[in-house]
Amino acid sequence: MSASRVGAITKRILQQFRRDHRTLGLLFGAPLVILALLGYLLRGGGDVPKMGIVNLDGGPLGGIVASTLERSKTVSASSMSPGDADGKLRSGDIAGYVLLPSDFSPKAQQARVIAPEIHLEGSQPGLSQSILQAVSQSFVGLAGQGGGIQFTPKITFLYGGPSFDTLDYFGAAFIGLVVFFLVFVITAVAFLRERGQGTLERLMASPLRRAEIVLGYMLGFTVLALILLVLHVHNVGNVALIFVLEALMAIAAVNLGIFLSMFARTEFQAVQFIPLVIVPQVLLAGIIFPISTEPGPLQALSRVLPLTYAVEGLRNIMIKGADLTWSSLQLDLGVVLGFCVLVILAGATTLRRRIA
Amino acid sequence: MATDIYAVEVEGVAKRFGKQPALDGISVRIRRGEVYGLLGPNGAGKTTLIRSLVGLVAPEQGTVTVLGRRMPQLAVLARVGYMTQQAALYPDLSAEENVRFFGAIHGREDGDREALEFVEMWDRRKSVVSTLSGGLRTRCSLACALVHKPDLLLLDEPTVGVDPQLRVQLWDGFRKMAAGGTTIVVSSHVMDEAERCDRLGLIRFGKLLAEGTVAEIKSRAGVDRLEDAFLKLSEASSS
Repeated sequence: MSASRVGAITKRILQQFRRDHRTLGLLFGAPLVILALLGYLLRGGGDVPKMGIVNLDGGPLGGIVASTLERSKTVSASSMSPGDADGKLRSGDIAGYVLLPSDFSPKAQQARVIAPEIHLEGSQPGLSQSILQAVSQSFVGLAGQGGGIQFTPKITFLYGGPSFDTLDYFGAAFIGLVVFFLVFVITAVAFLRERGQGTLERLMASPLRRAEIVLGYMLGFTVLALILLVLHVHNVGNVALIFVLEALMAIAAVNLGIFLSMFARTEFQAVQFIPLVIVPQVLLAGIIFPISTEPGPLQALSRVLPLTYAVEGLRNIMIKGADLTWSSLQLDLGVVLGFCVLVILAGATTLRRRIA
Repeated sequence: MATDIYAVEVEGVAKRFGKQPALDGISVRIRRGEVYGLLGPNGAGKTTLIRSLVGLVAPEQGTVTVLGRRMPQLAVLARVGYMTQQAALYPDLSAEENVRFFGAIHGREDGDREALEFVEMWDRRKSVVSTLSGGLRTRCSLACALVHKPDLLLLDEPTVGVDPQLRVQLWDGFRKMAAGGTTIVVSSHVMDEAERCDRLGLIRFGKLLAEGTVAEIKSRAGVDRLEDAFLKLSEASSS
């Protein structure tokens, strides 16, 4: 095993990525788009957040805002007193309320500043966002009338906070999925390319050992996968532990990609493995649907999928702040590690067989 | 010792792909420092023979010895350069990055400048391979094969798509390398290229039909042109 040869492969992979802007864009853009879409989808479906309007404004503008909000289809708003609103917010009956202060109209007309208070319950980021959107939309009309009016709402959260948003809600699980999925696809395609363009033949005619090729690939993609962590996600746990788990998943994905690329002759065929390998894991690993709500037989299936443990592990660390003393995290890490060993062996075996 | 004389010793090597024999008990010995040309029609087994020299083909029978080492052996591959028929390069890397990469995996970090100058591509070193013409890719591929200054250079149809002027220059370079002790095995269809080899091996149906210097082969066939000699010897063997 030669470090400089492994390093040469790792460097080459990173150089290739630097040139390949589309894949880099995919790597960073795709998770954000999918996450946003997912959050939006899960929030929808008739689940219109209930909110309150507390109108203390003596002037005409408060009334306009209140009636605009009441007509809004994205929230179900109703007027109430300040005490009532606060109580309902704490009991969870409403997801938030907007308070229009008594000097609302004069301020808007003279100081050109719209400063409502928005109080949010905050535990469900999707609902909070709906309310924020509806409220800011209800002020659009006012801003249009006067022109140049500043919209500076004061937002308070009962739980969570402004940084705890939809991304964080699914983020922990999703980071793991994205790493696994993208690294798998990119490795499989990269390996098929090596074969198609004849460079694999050259690598095999060089002093490189198979383990060095696999390791070089692993390091290159793991570096990329870890860069994905800059996607800011709500995290209360140990960053080093997240790195370890992410790196293990990247290693598993690289080797799974190498292994399965042996069964595909073209890049197109490699992509066809996605419905077979990735989609069932996405559905069953508890990323979107909690495993406890699955039918019995599916739960058993979920329990044998490695991604289930990876997702659980990431959630344990990032949301609950688990450390290595937690037995559930030990199990998660153990299963992911075992899966890594399995696919490394599978990848190395098929690589050897194909060359002979 | 025989290993001091020969860079390559192939003894009775046979390999089938399915039922089709690609190599049929072939034996070839190539001396150190000589330029050896493998001549033969498509499908004769030239590429399979070259691949067996770097351990990419495991013979069913026979032995392959390269630079004194029984193949397959990884360590000896650091002293072998292999240029595939197709220009095997990373299209999204620059010419220089490709050459450096192949140098590094053969254990040589420098030498990229010399290799790129050898193929007259130093001024194009920053070009990304996917933007290069076919001839330039072939040249870059050649640079990748000799960046680590191998003792044995295997070239599978190296001058396909290279213009005549550069072909002459490359051959001058090959001769210079051979004079410096590098053994070169080159497969070709092009007869004027074959004329530049020290010795030729005519291959057909996975067998060595004839071997010798250009003059020897011509006189054996009793003709003046190498092309005619090649055709005549091929016919003689198949009848």
